[in-house]
Amino acid sequence: MRSRFIPGTRAAPWLACLGLLVLWQIAALALKNDSFPTAWAAIRAIPLILADKEALINILASQRRMTIGFAVAIVVSVPLGLMMGRSRAVASFFNPLLMVIYPVPKAALMPIIMLWLGVGDLSKTLVIFLGVSLPVIYHSFEGAKSVEEKMLWSGAAMGLSAAQRMVRIVLPAALPEILTGCRTGLVLALITMVTSEMIARQSGAGNILFNALDMGEYDLVFAMIIIIGAMGICLDAMFETLRARLVRWSEPQFDMPLSFS
Amino acid sequence: MTVRAQDLLLGLVPLALVIALWQALVSFGYAPATLLPPPGLVFRRLAQQLTTLTFEQDVAATLFRLFAGFLIAVVLGVTIGIAAAASPLINSAVRPVVRVLAPLPKVALYPALLLLLGFGHGSKITLVTADALFPILLSTYYGASTVEQKLVWSALAAGTPPREVLFKVILPAAAPSILTGCRIGLVISCIVVFLAEMITSTDGLGHVLVTAARTFQAVDMFVPLITISLLGLILNGALGALRSYLLRGFPEV
Repeated sequence: MRSRFIPGTRAAPWLACLGLLVLWQIAALALKNDSFPTAWAAIRAIPLILADKEALINILASQRRMTIGFAVAIVVSVPLGLMMGRSRAVASFFNPLLMVIYPVPKAALMPIIMLWLGVGDLSKTLVIFLGVSLPVIYHSFEGAKSVEEKMLWSGAAMGLSAAQRMVRIVLPAALPEILTGCRTGLVLALITMVTSEMIARQSGAGNILFNALDMGEYDLVFAMIIIIGAMGICLDAMFETLRARLVRWSEPQFDMPLSFS
Repeated sequence: MTVRAQDLLLGLVPLALVIALWQALVSFGYAPATLLPPPGLVFRRLAQQLTTLTFEQDVAATLFRLFAGFLIAVVLGVTIGIAAAASPLINSAVRPVVRVLAPLPKVALYPALLLLLGFGHGSKITLVTADALFPILLSTYYGASTVEQKLVWSALAAGTPPREVLFKVILPAAAPSILTGCRIGLVISCIVVFLAEMITSTDGLGHVLVTAARTFQAVDMFVPLITISLLGLILNGALGALRSYLLRGFPEV
């Protein structure tokens, strides 16, 4: 049951995009619903949003928060995950805590964090940080756990200290798995960004989306959905290119992303 | 067994620390009780709420949406995943669509679902399904496409009809991977159902949180959060038990 290589893989996602848009267009024409504009009407509304200077600044500010939250989460989570993977004590110390935090929607913490830190950048970035950390910790943990013991023994025999073994053996060996986690985290960062702005309703891409919904400007709602969706797909594709370069030596695993919320 | 118990005790330490820190912040006056209610108060409130009918109805509404969305996602995900692994034709159709749809932030689709399906159960269940579907689909596909070819050949040589190979060989062999996907999907379902209820709803745990936030009732804001965390733990535990029952013949996975 091995999947075969299909020619024209490069063009396929574009064709899929086009197919989905056509499907949307047909469905909208068939339903003739006022609150469901056609794909073409939504695409025409995209320049309306992007030409508005304030909206553009808002979207860029969202992206900055997302980047900062994502970067900080990676810096904190990867070492934690690796240590959990290599030490049983560290793992059993943190595991229950993470299990308790996992099913809580991070964006739902927004109202509480807002009470302490205000509605500014800090609370939104913190929520993004929380959302990204869990999958990254989990995947780093799994990656470090499955490092071959023999390599570590050889490293130790050649006189590497524990810290050196961590950086020079465990980190590279776990890298493919870590990057899978980062990819999940990237999509999550985007989702948390939208939801946190939707709850804090002050600025940002999520705010534009839900304001348009409240105002009944349905063209803008769907245009904003396309913009956010395109952001997700582009970020994912960019990350995938980077990942393919970094771990060219490893066997390809999932070539499709796992998305979380 | 004792090692496991030791691990469990060690794991309780950070939980206890968090609660102690929480209590300390309130007792030493770093955080006013209106912003950060003491843990004792929150847990008492939780116990009290669990006996009231309205709260129970909210929990039931959340659970109903969670299960409906999750089960639809399991059925769709396993079917499409197996089909894509079995047939190159379906594979070439499914693969690009999944590549485009999987990284899409599904929450952004929620306004569209609201406009199309209304404010009731439909839009929320659809959102849960959309989010839980992809991890299940991908791990099913992954599990089914890495089934050892020799197993399929042996079954065919032993006279199993090709149609039955699916249920007798491929599905059981892919089961560990499928169940891992289901576990991820379940956690996602918990998160998404809560978010959807926070955006627009008249009942459910997410609605309880939003109402409390609007009226600045800090205690009532913590209660639904702890409830969803507990629900997630219980469901995860149940799925883990189901997993070890279903996979009782397998080597440690």
